[in-house]
Amino acid sequence: MPGYYDMDDILMEDEPISVVFQVGAHGCGLLDPGSETIDIEKGMKMDLPYWLAHQLHLRQAVSISVPASFSQKTRKEIQADAACVDLKGRCPYFYELGCKIAPLVGDKTIGSFLLYAFTDRYKEMLSKSHGAPAVTRFSSRLTKEESQLFEAARSSMAAFKKWRTGGSRLEKAAILGRKRKRTVPLGPSSP
Amino acid sequence: MAGQSDPHLSVFSPPEVEFLAEDETVEIIPKFSLGSLHMICGDFGPFRPNIASEVPLWLAVALKERGKCDIRAPDWMSVDKLMQILEAERESPREFQPLPFHYIEISKLLFKHAHDNVQDIYMVRSLIEDIRDVRFHKVETGLQTISGRTHAVKLKNLSAMEVNIVRPFMIRTLQAFYKHDSPHIIQQPEKSGSRRPQAPDHGPRVSCLVFVFQ
Repeated sequence: MPGYYDMDDILMEDEPISVVFQVGAHGCGLLDPGSETIDIEKGMKMDLPYWLAHQLHLRQAVSISVPASFSQKTRKEIQADAACVDLKGRCPYFYELGCKIAPLVGDKTIGSFLLYAFTDRYKEMLSKSHGAPAVTRFSSRLTKEESQLFEAARSSMAAFKKWRTGGSRLEKAAILGRKRKRTVPLGPSSP
Repeated sequence: MAGQSDPHLSVFSPPEVEFLAEDETVEIIPKFSLGSLHMICGDFGPFRPNIASEVPLWLAVALKERGKCDIRAPDWMSVDKLMQILEAERESPREFQPLPFHYIEISKLLFKHAHDNVQDIYMVRSLIEDIRDVRFHKVETGLQTISGRTHAVKLKNLSAMEVNIVRPFMIRTLQAFYKHDSPHIIQQPEKSGSRRPQAPDHGPRVSCLVFVFQ
């Protein structure tokens, strides 16, 4: 489970979520770069990072709306062909965000939708990662989590192929490759 | 372990698995005469010319490189045996045939150092490649059926190098499926009008993967 120190978790919590304020807030207008007033009125809509939105939601100051990555449009695309959807462009932390958002938004279908998307893409990834050594366009569409999986399979397969074609087990250390100028002493040093 | 260049990915690198495979014993036919060798791992010898003796593979390769012995190819490395195994692999889509645990590494070492001691070496080499391909395809097909309820994956008779290749991928896959398919994320549809409390689903308790092979 992701923890306090997990780098991916920290980066994921920075994703913007659109929220609607339920209360007014004085002096917080600088949260929204496009607002004219220095206060926030009730009912204003803006984008906040997930960590802030989560804390305000616990204090019942905002209500969170479903992000664009989980809208009906994306769902239809994924149902059509999950492997071709460019999740990295939309939201590189698609799955983690979905897991965190699901209890907040109150949408019960997000969990099974994530599972469906992941299973579909996983099947596609299975065949591609172990086979072709070239980097395909498929790998540029994967989220962070999926690309870690993909990289793991790709590198272990590449290591095996490299071992199989032979080669010495001993590698020359990189530091020995540099040519150095050596000053040859001309003779015994004079006292 | 020396896989520290990227400790998250794999515990063993292929040369390390090969190193571990060199502990397997093979038969050699020495060309020299020597008393017993007392080593940390055991005693070997005495060596007499043309009398077979069993030594670990690393010692056999070292002697062969110095021209002091001939390595006898193991029994399973004959064309007939391998043909049988290949046929059996192709016929059973879910099971793996019993093969020596380090067959890939042993065969590679013997091809490299003792190619004159193996009969029909080209045939044997291509048969082993085919066997490896068929088995790996079976592993891939088996992986497609993993779901969130999978607690552990049992692959019987898989060899050391094959396990090493799939290990990082499988661990991550099982972790990902466990995270996404856990019951508290997927809300179960409530049965209306039923008052019986459902038995709690404890879910998988192991968070690490257990490969079971025999």
